Amino acid sequence: MNEKVILLVEDNASDEALTLRALKKSGVKNEVVVVRDGAEALDYLLGAGVHPGRAPADLPAVVLLDLKLPKIDGLEVLKRLRANEMTKLLAVVILTSSNEQRDLVEGYSAGANSYVRKPVEFTEFAEAVSQLGLYWILLNEAPPPLGG
Amino acid sequence: MSAVHADRESVVRDGRPVDARSYASAILNILDDAAEEKAQLADTQRAALNILDDFSDEKARLAHVQKAILNILEDFDVEKNKVEQINREMAAEIAERKEAEEGLRQANAAADAANRELEAFSYSVAHDLRAPLRSMDGFSNALLEDYGDQVGAEGKTYLTNVRDAAQQMAQLIDDLLALSRVSRAELRRERIDLAGIARSVLARLQTMDPDRSVQAVIPEEVIASGDPRLLGIVMENLIGNAWKFTSQKPRARIELGHRPEAGRSVYFVHDNGAGFDMAYVQKLFGVFQRLHSAIEFEGTGIGLVTVQRIIHRHGGTVWAEGEVGHGATISFTLEEAT
Repeated sequence: MNEKVILLVEDNASDEALTLRALKKSGVKNEVVVVRDGAEALDYLLGAGVHPGRAPADLPAVVLLDLKLPKIDGLEVLKRLRANEMTKLLAVVILTSSNEQRDLVEGYSAGANSYVRKPVEFTEFAEAVSQLGLYWILLNEAPPPLGG
Repeated sequence: MSAVHADRESVVRDGRPVDARSYASAILNILDDAAEEKAQLADTQRAALNILDDFSDEKARLAHVQKAILNILEDFDVEKNKVEQINREMAAEIAERKEAEEGLRQANAAADAANRELEAFSYSVAHDLRAPLRSMDGFSNALLEDYGDQVGAEGKTYLTNVRDAAQQMAQLIDDLLALSRVSRAELRRERIDLAGIARSVLARLQTMDPDRSVQAVIPEEVIASGDPRLLGIVMENLIGNAWKFTSQKPRARIELGHRPEAGRSVYFVHDNGAGFDMAYVQKLFGVFQRLHSAIEFEGTGIGLVTVQRIIHRHGGTVWAEGEVGHGATISFTLEEAT
Protein backbone atom coordinates (compact mmCIF):
# COMPACT_ATOMS: atom_id res chain seq x y z
CA MET A 1 0.00 0.00 0.00
CA ASN A 2 1.41 3.40 -0.89
CA GLU A 3 2.12 5.97 1.77
CA LYS A 4 0.29 8.85 0.22
CA VAL A 5 -2.24 10.72 2.30
CA ILE A 6 -5.91 11.19 1.62
CA LEU A 7 -7.05 14.80 1.84
CA LEU A 8 -10.57 15.20 3.20
CA VAL A 9 -12.07 18.65 2.65
CA GLU A 10 -15.06 18.68 4.98
CA ASP A 11 -16.59 21.40 7.18
CA ASN A 12 -19.15 19.21 8.94
CA ALA A 13 -17.60 17.59 12.05
CA SER A 14 -20.11 14.70 12.05
CA ASP A 15 -19.49 13.90 8.41
CA GLU A 16 -15.77 14.04 9.11
CA ALA A 17 -16.09 11.58 12.00
CA LEU A 18 -18.29 9.24 9.96
CA THR A 19 -15.95 9.35 6.97
CA LEU A 20 -12.93 8.60 9.16
CA ARG A 21 -14.83 5.77 10.81
CA ALA A 22 -15.79 4.28 7.48
CA LEU A 23 -12.22 4.53 6.15
CA LYS A 24 -10.84 2.91 9.27
CA LYS A 25 -13.36 0.09 9.06
CA SER A 26 -12.54 -0.58 5.43
CA GLY A 27 -8.89 -1.13 6.40
CA VAL A 28 -7.39 1.92 4.68
CA LYS A 29 -4.28 2.64 6.76
CA ASN A 30 -3.15 5.80 4.97
CA GLU A 31 -3.07 9.04 6.86
CA VAL A 32 -6.15 11.18 6.35
CA VAL A 33 -5.51 14.92 6.45
CA VAL A 34 -8.63 16.93 7.20
CA VAL A 35 -9.08 20.57 6.20
CA ARG A 36 -12.28 22.45 6.96
CA ASP A 37 -12.75 24.99 4.22
CA GLY A 38 -11.79 25.73 0.64
CA ALA A 39 -9.11 28.26 1.51
CA GLU A 40 -7.37 25.79 3.77
CA ALA A 41 -7.57 23.11 1.08
CA LEU A 42 -5.85 25.41 -1.43
CA ASP A 43 -3.24 26.39 1.15
CA TYR A 44 -2.47 22.77 1.76
CA LEU A 45 -2.36 21.67 -1.86
CA LEU A 46 -0.61 24.69 -3.32
CA GLY A 47 1.92 24.79 -0.49
CA ALA A 48 1.17 28.07 1.25
CA GLY A 49 -0.40 29.45 4.43
CA VAL A 50 -1.00 27.01 7.27
CA HIS A 51 0.72 24.04 5.58
CA PRO A 52 4.04 25.46 4.44
CA GLY A 53 5.98 22.37 5.58
CA ARG A 54 4.57 20.09 2.92
CA ALA A 55 6.66 19.59 -0.20
CA PRO A 56 4.59 20.93 -3.11
CA ALA A 57 5.22 17.86 -5.29
CA ASP A 58 4.09 15.51 -2.53
CA LEU A 59 0.43 15.42 -3.37
CA PRO A 60 -2.30 13.30 -1.77
CA ALA A 61 -3.45 10.09 -3.46
CA VAL A 62 -6.91 11.58 -3.67
CA VAL A 63 -8.83 14.64 -2.51
CA LEU A 64 -12.31 13.99 -1.15
CA LEU A 65 -13.93 17.35 -1.76
CA ASP A 66 -17.23 18.60 -0.36
CA LEU A 67 -19.00 21.22 -2.48
CA LYS A 68 -20.58 23.47 0.10
CA LEU A 69 -17.68 24.85 2.07
CA PRO A 70 -16.93 28.04 4.03
CA LYS A 71 -14.80 30.79 2.43
CA ILE A 72 -14.09 29.16 -0.96
CA ASP A 73 -16.57 26.54 -2.15
CA GLY A 74 -15.60 23.15 -3.51
CA LEU A 75 -16.22 24.02 -7.13
CA GLU A 76 -13.90 27.03 -6.95
CA VAL A 77 -11.23 24.92 -5.21
CA LEU A 78 -11.47 22.42 -8.06
CA LYS A 79 -11.20 25.09 -10.73
CA ARG A 80 -8.09 26.58 -9.10
CA LEU A 81 -6.50 23.15 -8.78
CA ARG A 82 -7.12 22.45 -12.45
CA ALA A 83 -5.69 25.83 -13.42
CA ASN A 84 -2.46 25.12 -11.54
CA GLU A 85 0.26 23.23 -13.39
CA MET A 86 1.18 21.26 -10.24
CA THR A 87 -2.30 20.04 -9.35
CA LYS A 88 -4.06 19.87 -12.70
CA LEU A 89 -3.88 16.05 -12.77
CA LEU A 90 -4.53 15.47 -9.05
CA ALA A 91 -7.33 12.97 -8.38
CA VAL A 92 -10.30 14.88 -6.99
CA VAL A 93 -13.51 13.14 -5.97
CA ILE A 94 -16.51 15.27 -5.15
CA LEU A 95 -18.12 13.78 -2.05
CA THR A 96 -21.22 15.74 -1.22
CA SER A 97 -24.84 15.67 -0.05
CA SER A 98 -26.59 16.71 -3.21
CA ASN A 99 -27.14 15.08 -6.53
CA GLU A 100 -28.61 18.22 -8.05
CA GLN A 101 -28.02 18.15 -11.77
CA ARG A 102 -26.37 21.56 -11.58
CA ASP A 103 -23.74 20.26 -9.14
CA LEU A 104 -23.04 17.20 -11.25
CA VAL A 105 -22.67 19.17 -14.47
CA GLU A 106 -20.55 21.90 -12.91
CA GLY A 107 -18.46 19.39 -10.97
CA TYR A 108 -17.57 17.30 -13.99
CA SER A 109 -17.15 20.39 -16.17
CA ALA A 110 -14.61 21.77 -13.70
CA GLY A 111 -12.65 18.53 -14.02
CA ALA A 112 -13.76 16.24 -11.19
CA ASN A 113 -12.50 12.66 -11.56
CA SER A 114 -15.58 11.28 -9.85
CA TYR A 115 -18.75 12.40 -8.11
CA VAL A 116 -20.17 10.48 -5.16
CA ARG A 117 -23.28 11.41 -3.26
CA LYS A 118 -23.08 10.78 0.47
CA PRO A 119 -25.87 8.36 1.33
CA VAL A 120 -27.86 9.06 4.50
CA GLU A 121 -27.92 5.40 5.45
CA PHE A 122 -24.62 4.69 7.20
CA THR A 123 -24.09 1.21 5.81
CA GLU A 124 -24.31 2.64 2.29
CA PHE A 125 -22.19 5.63 3.28
CA ALA A 126 -19.48 3.40 4.75
CA GLU A 127 -19.58 1.23 1.67
CA ALA A 128 -19.17 4.23 -0.61
CA VAL A 129 -16.27 5.71 1.38
CA SER A 130 -14.62 2.32 1.70
CA GLN A 131 -14.80 1.70 -2.04
CA LEU A 132 -13.46 5.17 -2.72
CA GLY A 133 -10.53 4.65 -0.37
CA LEU A 134 -9.66 1.26 -1.78
CA TYR A 135 -10.02 2.30 -5.38
CA TRP A 136 -7.99 5.51 -5.22
CA ILE A 137 -5.30 4.09 -2.91
CA LEU A 138 -4.95 0.55 -4.19
CA LEU A 139 -6.16 0.39 -7.75
CA ASN A 140 -5.64 3.76 -9.23
CA GLU A 141 -2.22 4.67 -10.68
CA ALA A 142 -1.60 8.28 -9.75
CA PRO A 143 -0.31 10.65 -12.42
CA PRO A 144 3.47 11.30 -12.33
CA PRO A 145 4.54 14.42 -10.37
CA LEU A 146 4.41 17.60 -12.41
CA GLY A 147 6.17 20.92 -12.02
CA GLY A 148 7.99 21.59 -8.75
CA MET B 1 -105.62 103.90 -79.34
CA SER B 2 -105.92 101.25 -81.75
CA ALA B 3 -104.60 101.59 -85.28
CA VAL B 4 -108.20 101.64 -86.53
CA HIS B 5 -108.66 105.37 -85.60
CA ALA B 6 -105.36 106.62 -87.01
CA ASP B 7 -106.67 107.41 -90.50
CA ARG B 8 -109.29 109.86 -89.34
CA GLU B 9 -107.57 112.10 -86.85
CA SER B 10 -104.04 113.04 -87.97
CA VAL B 11 -103.28 116.98 -88.04
CA VAL B 12 -99.69 117.81 -88.89
CA ARG B 13 -97.08 115.60 -90.34
CA ASP B 14 -93.50 116.68 -90.77
CA GLY B 15 -94.24 120.34 -89.83
CA ARG B 16 -96.91 120.88 -92.47
CA PRO B 17 -100.56 121.46 -91.74
CA VAL B 18 -102.70 118.62 -92.55
CA ASP B 19 -106.35 118.06 -92.50
CA ALA B 20 -108.16 116.96 -89.47
CA ARG B 21 -108.01 113.43 -90.56
CA SER B 22 -104.31 113.73 -91.08
CA TYR B 23 -103.92 115.44 -87.72
CA ALA B 24 -105.85 112.84 -86.00
CA SER B 25 -103.83 110.30 -87.76
CA ALA B 26 -100.62 112.08 -86.70
CA ILE B 27 -101.70 112.09 -83.06
CA LEU B 28 -102.58 108.53 -83.40
CA ASN B 29 -99.15 107.96 -84.80
CA ILE B 30 -97.59 109.74 -81.84
CA LEU B 31 -99.73 107.78 -79.58
CA ASP B 32 -98.72 104.76 -81.50
CA ASP B 33 -95.07 105.69 -81.07
CA ALA B 34 -95.61 106.29 -77.39
CA ALA B 35 -97.28 102.96 -77.11
CA GLU B 36 -94.36 101.46 -78.89
CA GLU B 37 -91.98 103.21 -76.51
CA LYS B 38 -94.03 101.98 -73.69
CA ALA B 39 -93.97 98.50 -75.08
CA GLN B 40 -90.24 98.76 -75.52
CA LEU B 41 -89.90 99.99 -71.98
CA ALA B 42 -92.06 97.14 -70.84
CA ASP B 43 -89.84 94.86 -72.84
CA THR B 44 -86.77 96.39 -71.26
CA GLN B 45 -88.42 96.14 -67.89
CA ARG B 46 -89.32 92.55 -68.57
CA ALA B 47 -85.78 91.92 -69.73
CA ALA B 48 -84.46 93.54 -66.60
CA LEU B 49 -86.87 91.50 -64.55
CA ASN B 50 -85.76 88.44 -66.41
CA ILE B 51 -82.19 89.35 -65.70
CA LEU B 52 -83.08 89.86 -62.07
CA ASP B 53 -84.93 86.59 -62.18
CA ASP B 54 -81.93 84.89 -63.67
CA PHE B 55 -79.76 86.57 -61.11
CA SER B 56 -81.84 85.26 -58.25
CA ASP B 57 -81.75 81.82 -59.87
CA GLU B 58 -78.00 82.12 -59.99
CA LYS B 59 -78.02 83.34 -56.44
CA ALA B 60 -80.16 80.42 -55.40
CA ARG B 61 -77.88 78.07 -57.26
CA LEU B 62 -74.89 79.70 -55.65
CA ALA B 63 -76.52 79.38 -52.28
CA HIS B 64 -77.15 75.77 -53.09
CA VAL B 65 -73.55 75.24 -54.08
CA GLN B 66 -72.49 77.06 -50.97
CA LYS B 67 -74.74 74.85 -48.91
CA ALA B 68 -73.34 71.81 -50.67
CA ILE B 69 -69.80 73.00 -49.90
CA LEU B 70 -70.78 73.64 -46.34
CA ASN B 71 -72.25 70.16 -46.21
CA ILE B 72 -69.07 68.74 -47.61
CA LEU B 73 -67.10 70.74 -45.09
CA GLU B 74 -69.39 69.53 -42.37
CA ASP B 75 -69.02 65.96 -43.59
CA PHE B 76 -65.30 66.51 -43.65
CA ASP B 77 -65.43 67.70 -40.06
CA VAL B 78 -67.41 64.63 -39.08
CA GLU B 79 -64.90 62.44 -40.87
CA LYS B 80 -62.06 64.33 -39.29
CA ASN B 81 -63.61 63.84 -35.87
CA LYS B 82 -64.05 60.19 -36.60
CA VAL B 83 -60.40 59.86 -37.63
CA GLU B 84 -59.34 61.76 -34.55
CA GLN B 85 -61.52 59.52 -32.41
CA ILE B 86 -59.96 56.44 -34.03
CA ASN B 87 -56.50 57.92 -33.48
CA ARG B 88 -57.33 58.54 -29.85
CA GLU B 89 -58.67 55.03 -29.49
CA MET B 90 -55.59 53.59 -31.13
CA ALA B 91 -53.33 55.63 -28.91
CA ALA B 92 -55.31 54.42 -25.90
CA GLU B 93 -55.06 50.84 -27.13
CA ILE B 94 -51.34 51.17 -27.72
CA ALA B 95 -50.97 52.60 -24.23
CA GLU B 96 -53.10 49.79 -22.88
CA ARG B 97 -51.06 47.22 -24.74
CA LYS B 98 -47.85 48.77 -23.49
CA GLU B 99 -49.24 48.62 -20.00
CA ALA B 100 -50.20 44.98 -20.50
CA GLU B 101 -46.73 44.24 -21.85
CA GLU B 102 -45.20 45.97 -18.87
CA GLY B 103 -47.49 43.94 -16.60
CA LEU B 104 -46.45 40.76 -18.39
CA ARG B 105 -42.80 41.72 -18.10
CA GLN B 106 -43.22 42.33 -14.39
CA ALA B 107 -45.08 39.04 -13.95
CA ASN B 108 -42.29 37.26 -15.82
CA ALA B 109 -39.66 38.95 -13.70
CA ALA B 110 -41.59 37.94 -10.57
CA ALA B 111 -41.87 34.37 -11.85
CA ASP B 112 -38.14 34.35 -12.62
CA ALA B 113 -37.38 35.65 -9.15
CA ALA B 114 -39.67 33.03 -7.61
CA ASN B 115 -37.98 30.35 -9.70
CA ARG B 116 -34.54 31.50 -8.61
CA GLU B 117 -35.72 31.48 -5.03
CA LEU B 118 -37.14 27.98 -5.44
CA GLU B 119 -33.88 26.94 -7.05
CA ALA B 120 -31.86 28.38 -4.15
CA PHE B 121 -34.24 26.78 -1.67
CA SER B 122 -34.00 23.37 -3.35
CA TYR B 123 -30.25 23.69 -3.52
CA SER B 124 -30.06 24.41 0.19
CA VAL B 125 -32.45 21.54 0.94
CA ALA B 126 -30.40 19.19 -1.20
CA HIS B 127 -27.18 20.14 0.57
CA ASP B 128 -28.05 21.01 4.15
CA LEU B 129 -31.05 18.95 5.17
CA ARG B 130 -29.47 15.58 4.59
CA ALA B 131 -26.32 16.16 6.66
CA PRO B 132 -28.07 16.04 10.09
CA LEU B 133 -29.91 12.90 9.02
CA ARG B 134 -26.63 11.30 8.08
CA SER B 135 -25.39 12.06 11.60
CA MET B 136 -28.51 10.59 13.20
CA ASP B 137 -28.25 7.44 11.17
CA GLY B 138 -24.46 7.18 11.29
CA PHE B 139 -24.03 7.67 15.03
CA SER B 140 -27.01 5.47 15.89
CA ASN B 141 -25.31 2.82 13.82
CA ALA B 142 -21.99 3.48 15.58
CA LEU B 143 -23.75 3.06 18.94
CA LEU B 144 -25.29 -0.19 17.80
CA GLU B 145 -21.96 -1.50 16.52
CA ASP B 146 -19.71 -0.34 19.33
CA TYR B 147 -22.02 -0.39 22.36
CA GLY B 148 -24.82 -2.69 21.25
CA ASP B 149 -24.24 -5.11 24.09
CA GLN B 150 -24.57 -2.30 26.65
CA VAL B 151 -27.88 -0.80 25.50
CA GLY B 152 -29.77 -4.06 25.57
CA ALA B 153 -32.47 -5.34 23.23
CA GLU B 154 -34.82 -2.45 23.88
CA GLY B 155 -32.03 0.10 23.39
CA LYS B 156 -31.19 -1.53 20.08
CA THR B 157 -34.83 -1.20 18.99
CA TYR B 158 -34.82 2.48 19.88
CA LEU B 159 -31.67 3.09 17.92
CA THR B 160 -33.11 1.18 14.99
CA ASN B 161 -36.20 3.42 15.19
CA VAL B 162 -33.98 6.50 15.03
CA ARG B 163 -32.25 5.10 11.98
CA ASP B 164 -35.56 4.22 10.29
CA ALA B 165 -36.87 7.73 10.92
CA ALA B 166 -33.72 9.34 9.54
CA GLN B 167 -33.91 7.21 6.42
CA GLN B 168 -37.62 7.88 5.98
CA MET B 169 -36.97 11.60 6.20
CA ALA B 170 -34.11 11.35 3.71
CA GLN B 171 -36.54 9.62 1.33
CA LEU B 172 -39.07 12.41 1.87
CA ILE B 173 -36.46 15.05 1.08
CA ASP B 174 -35.41 13.19 -2.05
CA ASP B 175 -39.01 12.82 -3.20
CA LEU B 176 -39.79 16.48 -2.56
CA LEU B 177 -36.65 17.50 -4.42
CA ALA B 178 -37.69 15.27 -7.31
CA LEU B 179 -41.12 16.92 -7.27
CA SER B 180 -39.65 20.41 -7.36
CA ARG B 181 -37.22 19.36 -10.08
CA VAL B 182 -40.15 18.19 -12.18
CA SER B 183 -41.63 21.69 -11.98
CA ARG B 184 -38.36 23.36 -12.84
CA ALA B 185 -37.27 21.01 -15.62
CA GLU B 186 -37.57 22.08 -19.22
CA LEU B 187 -39.99 19.98 -21.21
CA ARG B 188 -39.01 18.60 -24.60
CA ARG B 189 -41.24 16.28 -26.56
CA GLU B 190 -39.89 13.21 -28.27
CA ARG B 191 -41.31 9.99 -29.61
CA ILE B 192 -40.80 7.45 -26.86
CA ASP B 193 -41.75 3.87 -26.10
CA LEU B 194 -43.47 3.55 -22.72
CA ALA B 195 -43.39 -0.25 -22.97
CA GLY B 196 -39.59 -0.27 -23.10
CA ILE B 197 -39.40 2.01 -20.05
CA ALA B 198 -41.91 -0.15 -18.15
CA ARG B 199 -39.92 -3.32 -18.90
CA SER B 200 -36.66 -1.79 -17.61
CA VAL B 201 -38.39 -0.51 -14.45
CA LEU B 202 -39.82 -3.97 -13.84
CA ALA B 203 -36.44 -5.60 -14.44
CA ARG B 204 -34.85 -3.31 -11.86
CA LEU B 205 -37.61 -4.01 -9.32
CA GLN B 206 -37.19 -7.72 -9.91
CA THR B 207 -33.44 -7.46 -9.20
CA MET B 208 -34.10 -5.69 -5.93
CA ASP B 209 -36.81 -8.15 -4.99
CA PRO B 210 -35.74 -11.44 -6.60
CA ASP B 211 -38.19 -13.61 -4.62
CA ARG B 212 -41.28 -12.00 -6.10
CA SER B 213 -43.09 -13.39 -9.09
CA VAL B 214 -45.19 -10.90 -11.01
CA GLN B 215 -46.99 -11.46 -14.29
CA ALA B 216 -46.26 -8.46 -16.52
CA VAL B 217 -48.62 -7.78 -19.42
CA ILE B 218 -46.83 -5.27 -21.60
CA PRO B 219 -47.37 -4.80 -25.35
CA GLU B 220 -44.42 -4.91 -27.74
CA GLU B 221 -44.56 -1.13 -28.08
CA VAL B 222 -46.54 1.72 -26.53
CA ILE B 223 -45.56 4.85 -28.43
CA ALA B 224 -46.14 8.24 -26.86
CA SER B 225 -44.95 11.78 -27.42
CA GLY B 226 -43.44 13.37 -24.35
CA ASP B 227 -40.36 14.25 -22.36
CA PRO B 228 -38.29 11.05 -22.03
CA ARG B 229 -36.83 11.86 -18.62
CA LEU B 230 -40.12 13.05 -17.11
CA LEU B 231 -42.12 10.13 -18.52
CA GLY B 232 -39.40 7.86 -17.13
CA ILE B 233 -40.28 9.26 -13.69
CA VAL B 234 -43.99 8.66 -14.42
CA MET B 235 -43.41 5.00 -15.31
CA GLU B 236 -41.02 4.60 -12.38
CA ASN B 237 -43.79 5.76 -10.04
CA LEU B 238 -46.73 3.96 -11.63
CA ILE B 239 -44.99 0.62 -12.15
CA GLY B 240 -43.31 1.03 -8.74
CA ASN B 241 -46.70 1.57 -7.10
CA ALA B 242 -48.20 -1.40 -8.91
CA TRP B 243 -45.25 -3.51 -7.78
CA LYS B 244 -45.63 -2.32 -4.19
CA PHE B 245 -49.40 -2.73 -3.92
CA THR B 246 -49.41 -6.23 -5.41
CA SER B 247 -46.75 -7.42 -2.93
CA GLN B 248 -49.34 -9.22 -0.82
CA LYS B 249 -51.03 -10.93 -3.78
CA PRO B 250 -50.03 -14.50 -4.51
CA ARG B 251 -50.72 -14.00 -8.22
CA ALA B 252 -49.64 -10.46 -8.91
CA ARG B 253 -50.36 -8.98 -12.30
CA ILE B 254 -49.24 -5.63 -13.73
CA GLU B 255 -50.50 -4.40 -17.07
CA LEU B 256 -49.50 -1.48 -19.26
CA GLY B 257 -51.75 -0.55 -22.14
CA HIS B 258 -53.27 2.17 -24.25
CA ARG B 259 -56.48 2.83 -26.13
CA PRO B 260 -57.85 5.63 -28.30
CA GLU B 261 -60.52 7.72 -26.61
CA ALA B 262 -62.11 10.97 -27.85
CA GLY B 263 -59.40 11.41 -30.47
CA ARG B 264 -56.45 11.00 -28.15
CA SER B 265 -54.46 8.16 -26.62
CA VAL B 266 -55.23 7.06 -23.09
CA TYR B 267 -52.35 5.18 -21.42
CA PHE B 268 -52.94 3.12 -18.31
CA VAL B 269 -51.14 1.01 -15.72
CA HIS B 270 -53.37 -1.58 -14.11
CA ASP B 271 -52.64 -3.91 -11.21
CA ASN B 272 -54.61 -6.48 -9.24
CA GLY B 273 -53.18 -5.36 -5.90
CA ALA B 274 -54.57 -3.80 -2.73
CA GLY B 275 -56.61 -1.21 -4.63
CA PHE B 276 -58.38 1.64 -2.86
CA ASP B 277 -61.79 2.93 -1.92
CA MET B 278 -63.11 5.27 -4.65
CA ALA B 279 -64.49 7.47 -1.84
CA TYR B 280 -60.93 8.67 -1.25
CA VAL B 281 -59.90 9.03 -4.89
CA GLN B 282 -59.42 12.82 -4.48
CA LYS B 283 -56.79 12.22 -1.80
CA LEU B 284 -54.63 10.14 -4.13
CA PHE B 285 -53.18 13.17 -5.88
CA GLY B 286 -52.55 15.34 -2.79
CA VAL B 287 -49.03 15.88 -1.42
CA PHE B 288 -48.26 13.61 1.56
CA GLN B 289 -51.70 11.98 1.23
CA ARG B 290 -51.63 8.26 1.69
CA LEU B 291 -54.42 5.70 1.66
CA HIS B 292 -52.34 3.00 3.33
CA SER B 293 -50.43 3.01 6.60
CA ALA B 294 -46.65 2.85 6.49
CA ILE B 295 -46.87 -0.60 8.08
CA GLU B 296 -49.01 -1.94 5.23
CA PHE B 297 -47.05 -0.28 2.43
CA GLU B 298 -44.19 2.13 2.82
CA GLY B 299 -44.12 5.39 0.90
CA THR B 300 -44.00 9.13 1.21
CA GLY B 301 -47.19 10.11 -0.61
CA ILE B 302 -45.37 12.22 -3.15
CA GLY B 303 -45.17 9.80 -6.08
CA LEU B 304 -48.62 10.36 -7.59
CA VAL B 305 -48.36 14.13 -7.07
CA THR B 306 -45.16 14.04 -9.09
CA VAL B 307 -46.91 11.95 -11.76
CA GLN B 308 -49.80 14.39 -11.86
CA ARG B 309 -47.50 17.38 -12.19
CA ILE B 310 -45.63 15.76 -15.07
CA ILE B 311 -48.86 14.86 -16.87
CA HIS B 312 -50.21 18.40 -16.37
CA ARG B 313 -46.99 19.84 -17.73
CA HIS B 314 -47.65 17.81 -20.89
CA GLY B 315 -51.17 19.29 -21.06
CA GLY B 316 -52.74 15.94 -20.22
CA THR B 317 -54.99 14.55 -17.49
CA VAL B 318 -54.51 11.73 -15.02
CA TRP B 319 -57.15 9.83 -13.12
CA ALA B 320 -57.46 6.74 -10.94
CA GLU B 321 -59.96 3.95 -10.56
CA GLY B 322 -59.83 1.24 -7.96
CA GLU B 323 -61.60 -1.18 -5.71
CA VAL B 324 -60.43 -2.35 -2.32
CA GLY B 325 -58.74 -5.72 -2.67
CA HIS B 326 -59.15 -5.82 -6.44
CA GLY B 327 -56.51 -3.47 -7.72
CA ALA B 328 -56.14 -0.05 -9.22
CA THR B 329 -55.83 1.56 -12.64
CA ILE B 330 -54.07 4.85 -13.20
CA SER B 331 -54.85 6.34 -16.61
CA PHE B 332 -53.39 9.39 -18.27
CA THR B 333 -53.25 11.36 -21.49
CA LEU B 334 -50.37 13.43 -22.77
CA GLU B 335 -52.26 16.03 -24.77
CA GLU B 336 -55.22 18.30 -24.31
CA ALA B 337 -58.68 17.07 -25.24
CA THR B 338 -59.75 18.22 -28.70
